[in-house]
Amino acid sequence: MSFTITQRPDFALVTVQLQSGQTYHSEPGAMATMSPNIELKASLKGGLMSSLSRGLGGESLIISSYTAQGGGGEITFAAGQPGDAVHYALDGSTDIYLQRGAYLANSEGVEISSKWQGMRGFFSGEGLILLRAFGNGDLFFNSYGAIIELDVEDEVYVDTGFIVAFESTLNYNVTTLPGARPGTNWKSLFLGGEGLVCRFSGRGKVWIQTRQIATYLNWVHPYRPVQKNNG
Amino acid sequence: MQYEILAKPAASVVKVNLNAGEHLTCEVGAMVAMSTRMTVETTTQKKGSSGGGIMKGLKRLFAGESLFINHFTAREDGQYIILGPTMMGDVIHHRLDNATLIVQGGSWLASDPNITIDASWQGLGKAFFSGEGAFWVKCSGSGDMFMNSFGAIYAVEVDGDYIVDTGHIVAFEDTLNFTVQKAGSSWIGSILGGEGLVCRFEGKGIVYCQSHNPSSFGYALGPSLKPRS
Repeated sequence: MSFTITQRPDFALVTVQLQSGQTYHSEPGAMATMSPNIELKASLKGGLMSSLSRGLGGESLIISSYTAQGGGGEITFAAGQPGDAVHYALDGSTDIYLQRGAYLANSEGVEISSKWQGMRGFFSGEGLILLRAFGNGDLFFNSYGAIIELDVEDEVYVDTGFIVAFESTLNYNVTTLPGARPGTNWKSLFLGGEGLVCRFSGRGKVWIQTRQIATYLNWVHPYRPVQKNNG
Repeated sequence: MQYEILAKPAASVVKVNLNAGEHLTCEVGAMVAMSTRMTVETTTQKKGSSGGGIMKGLKRLFAGESLFINHFTAREDGQYIILGPTMMGDVIHHRLDNATLIVQGGSWLASDPNITIDASWQGLGKAFFSGEGAFWVKCSGSGDMFMNSFGAIYAVEVDGDYIVDTGHIVAFEDTLNFTVQKAGSSWIGSILGGEGLVCRFEGKGIVYCQSHNPSSFGYALGPSLKPRS
């Protein structure tokens, strides 16, 4: 299976060449173009429970499947928002955790399920509810804004809203910035806007996005019309 | 302090490398990622768009009329911080050498702590910007600073006269004189032409402009959005 990612980093488009009989899966609505011999099927992939857990992870319950019939074909995928896309080859040794909304597409052999983070992500706006991608095959994930790959060899803090994905070899926990710990400097925690970050340690890769939809929505908010009360 | 601007031009961020004892002052909320041997301290700066009255005072309390600033200090060598703005657009670097730059509030991203930041500057008057949270940051001193734009950013070297729509100003050097005026000869023409107020710069100096006006984008989106209650 061959692929290209073009128009990086602002409008990334993933193009995949399918051989006859091969199937690809994606987030519904991610398909932009495809050859006419590719058949689309929407399914609750992996059974109901797996689909429900995926729903918890912020991705829709339904996964679209595309199969090339009677010959090879081409399909392109793009995310709903303008941004970047990254390919990761899963080989069974390392899993990938995806922030909700970051899943774009995968080949056969890759499983997607959710991993409930419980209280760990309780206070972060994005919620640290992650999807876990594992198995053998190709995975594509996307962002809002560009994606920057950080090679962690020691440790790094990432604002929880900017995490796109990370390798399972890393340890992670949601924490506050030094100097912004409750009790020592509460002002930094509550007024600093950067109170909660994810601290990654160990060795592995973290992919971060350069923009955040949530802050953009906050910016848009004052431009919304004011509700007229007719009652 | 070394820096690198990444992911240009539509979703740019700046990565600043700091050695032990070096500082960076930046807008709160701009931190995307950073190394861990750093300390953070938050302070506030009063914004300039304040006015009298009890209601205004109350509103100010809740509407965030203070500029929150984070000071990052590296405790060890080889630390870094990645900063990104809210809007889609570019980031640029400007070096101040014992000079003053007036920056539109939403465009100020970070600066060397040797640069004095005054967010209460009102030289352009309150009427200048009608958008919410409009204010100006007066940056004086010497050191590196970073600004962001909505859309592309371009520098205009003014020598004589130059007119910039108020919504397209990112920053300008205070060596320039400026007057706020209507775009056309009549108010009706100015408003129908979509150009309410413009700034006429005179003298010699740099004006940084942005290709897109954030308020225009906001007003274009507004009618399509669900009303807020």
